[in-house]
Amino acid sequence: MRSGVENTTRRPAERPLSHFSVELEVYSGPYEGLLALILRDEVEIFEVPLREIVALYTDARPPNEDPNTLERDTDFVDSATSLVLLKGRALAPALDLDGDEVADDPLSPQELEERLVNYLKVRRAAEELRRRLAENAGSYPSAHAPPPRPGRLSIRRDRLVTAARRAFSRAAEPETRHLGPITVTVEDLVTLIRSSLARGPVSFEDLVLGMDRLRSTVAFAAALSLAAEGDVTLHQSEPFGPLTLDPTR
Amino acid sequence: MNAAAMLEAVLLASPRPVSLRTLVSATGLPEGEAREAMGELGNRYSPDSSGIVLREVAGGYQLATNPRCAKIVERFREEARPAPLSGAAHEVLACVLYLGPLTRAAVSAARGVNSDAVVRGLIERDLLAETGRDEDSPGAPALLDITEDFLMAANANARGDFPPLDALVDEGEISRVRERLSRARVVPGGDDAT
Repeated sequence: MRSGVENTTRRPAERPLSHFSVELEVYSGPYEGLLALILRDEVEIFEVPLREIVALYTDARPPNEDPNTLERDTDFVDSATSLVLLKGRALAPALDLDGDEVADDPLSPQELEERLVNYLKVRRAAEELRRRLAENAGSYPSAHAPPPRPGRLSIRRDRLVTAARRAFSRAAEPETRHLGPITVTVEDLVTLIRSSLARGPVSFEDLVLGMDRLRSTVAFAAALSLAAEGDVTLHQSEPFGPLTLDPTR
Repeated sequence: MNAAAMLEAVLLASPRPVSLRTLVSATGLPEGEAREAMGELGNRYSPDSSGIVLREVAGGYQLATNPRCAKIVERFREEARPAPLSGAAHEVLACVLYLGPLTRAAVSAARGVNSDAVVRGLIERDLLAETGRDEDSPGAPALLDITEDFLMAANANARGDFPPLDALVDEGEISRVRERLSRARVVPGGDDAT
């Protein structure tokens, strides 16, 4: 597992995350390429360990003196939260976006139980399969496939059609109906936090008092960005406990 | 030339498993004699004493390198072993193996998540294939099934070579799941069923 963010002064035309690359079990290459593959459904979001991506980014993050740090962090937080949202939406039961269809009846307790038990069996079968495939992974057949005889070369039609469809079709536009207009940015909240901190430490709860969920989330991202820059120290005595922002400069 | 030598030559020249019927047809041997000779080859190519093993996979016989020699063979061929499958891929294969043939929707329903991308990857690796259509469902979606390559990779002759699904899960584990669910039902908002 490795990654890299080149610490160079960014030219105006460059994208902030264009130098960030990741190496994961399911993908190796530029981070932006991974995002594109996920949007085109060519890499399954469940296969992408988001925690590892965040760790890779944090490890490879350039020093705070880099003039583009805030912009790069903002872009990363933006894309990472989109990935969290995508993963969350994929894990959650299907939503009725149009609101004009009656949602399926919820599962009865017996059906839920049956489904969980069946899934448990599939999980155990998958583990057994993993062991079996690994045990036989190093067995190579005795002969390489001979080249096809003249006139006998055959390509399966369905595979040819599939390949052509994938090669010539445009990638489907990602679903955006769930996205609302941008009403708040990380920069707005950074400014707000900085002005609040001028009077001393402030609790996160007080900071987001009266804010809606979107603003609270962006405020959290802004606090993380400021902490990453070294402008703020975050104190939290226990998981899910009260969070306090302390100015460090 | 003795029967075992003839069979051995045909198997060595074939990259795919060869059924007994094809071996009989290729060598002209009587079936009984061919079967007996295959037993002789099985002893000769025992995994305990030979770098070559005789496998009974995908409904046929195949000569292959002994997995214990894998590292040496890979170094010699200068090629890396394909990347191992992900957890999701193993789950999809398990669904199709034990519950299949299945449509993509049925695989996703069994796992509780959309599995189309994983299925696509497994088809590209020739471990799954579309083998028919579910004519009873709207749109007659394709049915997925395991392939000869899958059986070869799992060193199995057929579906029956895998342990029964119920035997893979401890009854106690299932009871614990049921118990947790019933507790969550009793305690409104109980979250210990996760």
